[in-house]
Amino acid sequence: MPTPSTAAPAAHPFRSALARVNFQQYVVYVGFLAIFLFFAIVLRDSGFLSQRNLVNIVLQTAPATIMAIGLVFVLSAGEIDLSFGSIVAVSALCAAMAMAAMPAAAFPLGILAGIGAGLFIGAINGALIAWLRLPSFLVTLATMGLIAGIGRSLTQLRSIPVTDPLFTGIFGSGSLFGVPSLVIWTVVAVAIGHLVYRQTRFGAHVLATGDNARAAQVTGIKVPNIRIMVFMISGGLAGLAGLLYAGRLQAAKYTLGETDLMTVIAAVIVGGTLLNGGKGSIIGALVGSLMMGMLNNGLILMGLSVSDQMIVRGLIILVAVAISLREKSR
Amino acid sequence: MKKTTMLAALLATTLMSTIAHAQTIGPNGESATLSSEVTLSDADIAALTGKGYKAALLWHTASDFINAVAAGANDEFARAGVDVVVTTDAGFDAAKQRSDIETALAAQPNVILSLPLDPVTSAEAFREAVETGVELVFLSNLPAGYVHGTDYAAIVTDDLFQMGKQAADVLAEAIGNEGQVGYIFHDAAYYVTNQRDQAFKTTIENDYPNIEIVAEQGITDPARAEELANAMLLQNPDLDGIYVTWAEPADGVLAALRGAGNTSTKIVTLDLSEPIALDMVKGGNVAGIVADEAYELGRAMAAAGLKGLLRQDVPAFVVAPALTVTADNIAEGWQQSLHRDAPASVLGAQ
Amino acid sequence: MTTQSAPVLALNNIRKTFGGVVAIENFSLDVKAGEIVALVGDNGAGKSTLIKIISGVHAPTSGAIQIDGHEISMSSATKAREHGIEVVYQDLALADQQPVYMNLFLGRELTKGPMGLLDRKSMIEETERLVTELDVRIPSAHATIRDLSGGQRQGIAIARATHWARKLVLLDEPTAALGVAETAKVEKTIAALKSRNIGVLIISHSLDQVFRLSDRICVLRRGNQIGIRETAKTDKNEIVSMITGV
Repeated sequence: MPTPSTAAPAAHPFRSALARVNFQQYVVYVGFLAIFLFFAIVLRDSGFLSQRNLVNIVLQTAPATIMAIGLVFVLSAGEIDLSFGSIVAVSALCAAMAMAAMPAAAFPLGILAGIGAGLFIGAINGALIAWLRLPSFLVTLATMGLIAGIGRSLTQLRSIPVTDPLFTGIFGSGSLFGVPSLVIWTVVAVAIGHLVYRQTRFGAHVLATGDNARAAQVTGIKVPNIRIMVFMISGGLAGLAGLLYAGRLQAAKYTLGETDLMTVIAAVIVGGTLLNGGKGSIIGALVGSLMMGMLNNGLILMGLSVSDQMIVRGLIILVAVAISLREKSR
Repeated sequence: MKKTTMLAALLATTLMSTIAHAQTIGPNGESATLSSEVTLSDADIAALTGKGYKAALLWHTASDFINAVAAGANDEFARAGVDVVVTTDAGFDAAKQRSDIETALAAQPNVILSLPLDPVTSAEAFREAVETGVELVFLSNLPAGYVHGTDYAAIVTDDLFQMGKQAADVLAEAIGNEGQVGYIFHDAAYYVTNQRDQAFKTTIENDYPNIEIVAEQGITDPARAEELANAMLLQNPDLDGIYVTWAEPADGVLAALRGAGNTSTKIVTLDLSEPIALDMVKGGNVAGIVADEAYELGRAMAAAGLKGLLRQDVPAFVVAPALTVTADNIAEGWQQSLHRDAPASVLGAQ
Repeated sequence: MTTQSAPVLALNNIRKTFGGVVAIENFSLDVKAGEIVALVGDNGAGKSTLIKIISGVHAPTSGAIQIDGHEISMSSATKAREHGIEVVYQDLALADQQPVYMNLFLGRELTKGPMGLLDRKSMIEETERLVTELDVRIPSAHATIRDLSGGQRQGIAIARATHWARKLVLLDEPTAALGVAETAKVEKTIAALKSRNIGVLIISHSLDQVFRLSDRICVLRRGNQIGIRETAKTDKNEIVSMITGV
């Protein structure tokens, strides 16, 4: 290396190593551990640490974690999806109705209808945003309501039972070598999501699109295709989350997923994904989602009243988001 | 509005068949036992105290009504020395309710009080609780296929028929047992409002031959109540009274009457609400409010669960009485229904 | 190299009109391999339009573009890149949150293995080799663009163009936003491109810079080509009078 000039700082090994450490990336992990330790101590006699309860937390957060993976892709591409919660319900209802219509082929039909509905709605969202150049916030705000309405009208607000044992086993209460199926789904989805996000050209193009769409475009990235793809990923994963809910509850209902919107957004942001694109983490989203689930679980077991639970949860999310966002905009 | 939030989850499915009957009956045709018959004796209290029993309250939502029910339950549990270790709010989300149940079970409660969101989704959701042998007491709704005694201890609900009937009685009295009335009902398939509305109509038709329902108007959105009432008054300017399905749309009807300078048409509605009560004590259009005994509902739920714990017979279907509140008994009525003082504005206006 | 004889870029009688308005009239210019040509002119003289024509954003109304003596038609920026033409945009077109090495390979990431996974190791090695060669001093190939100075960013943008350009690099006001020291650094990087035997076409407002860097200077005024001078055989006064027309 030539002698450093004033114009360019030298490549000091320590400094460069330090520059590569992004402290905000670890907020979610530190926060997760801190909350876990807090509950482990405070609730040591209240069943929090029982294996059953810990497994329950993972099971309960599985659908939200799956949705969070989709949201990481969408946010990383510089867009937002508000409609995935509504897609969950419609996908679950489509799957349940398809299975009820043809019990003989219930399992494949259920998957096809559920995931297919999610992908289809995602493609419509994506096409409106990529081709008509409409802002994703407004498009998905509109489709959120639209899809919620369709979910309600599909069944006149009735719940549809899901009875196929293969379906409820694989997407709900079943297990493989003692590992509950919802845990397997979570692990598989996170692993694939992380691989695609971090290790493929597609993942890199998603980040580039969200970071600087013009730069992405002039370097030959097909930005409209990327936008459509991320909404299809979000929709498809929302569809999968719908199947998990349907399997777990052995029924589909129009309210499924609707209340997950804010939890999932909070989990993803706390997990180190930027709201305005270009940066994110699938693993962070997983830990963020588990943290939200653990928070719900622990606050309930502490015996707090419902309003106190909401206040404490809100405060903790606020602190976590404040720390992660402050670090990011140095 | 306290009741309607609860209603949003109550789909008229298994319970719809009861509408034609002249009294409130259970989801499987059980006859009703009055909540006053479900009480803990001193011996029961002694048997329960000091055992370290725990209870969980797994509500479907958070509301004024639920607060009153929970207060009744909490007080009854406290009397028996039972700790309420978990309280949750599912926000009308069936998946959240299932998670809440699982989470609550980690705290190993002996009694769970809950309003199952709907018969289909809650059947699987409560299965784990049934298997662990917890005493389950349900509010208003029953998971599909559940059997009294083995799966759950009791269902407790409002005496819905009585609420509608008493609304008819108080309106009839206010207009001198004759005249023309309007009927604003909840136009959606919700068990609780449907039963109450139908009971009002049945009572007017059967018990008051000189009163005629001349105008019927369904309503789904309380925000549109005022314009619907205006239209009704335009077509029937001589209405003596109007029944409004619950308190929130009654606000709109009241606004329509005031706007028309109408001081003669009487209103009756269901569920306690401050603006409605205020109009009533000031001698306005509101003649009476029929309320449920939410606090008593909670007390009876807790008592039923604890009796189950003591292996005593618990009636399958328990109803808490309805309560007619007029300007004369507003203070006591508020106490009896919600177990707290009426709002200062209402008491001050008397 | 086969580019020694024919110019890497030859523009013959380029004319461009927007509606009825003539933006470029009868423009002809050759850029040879290893040569730096400066394009100067006042605001609105047509420099940006010319850059857009060469980079494939606008098609000329008439006239021919040749690369290595072969006539080509460029319908898009992608097409221009396929012909070996790279542009350093005034806004640099860098993805700020991504590391340096991902920016160098933006849209053209290296992959390995049957699953086509990103080959980060190769991209990082290549980046380090390139920034050393062009003497762009950055803390590391892992550094995030956002954390770099203006000069370092400009260096990365130039390095990226250099890496991918087989024929020609277009530089649009490369030092407009930089201080004195950083400008000197970037000029050194640009001068280093000569040794890579590619043609460079640079747009600059700074005549000092033009005289320091270029081999030839082409002057535009109101869409017309006023003339081309060899830098060594002209002076600032001549160029200024050509630019202003007085």
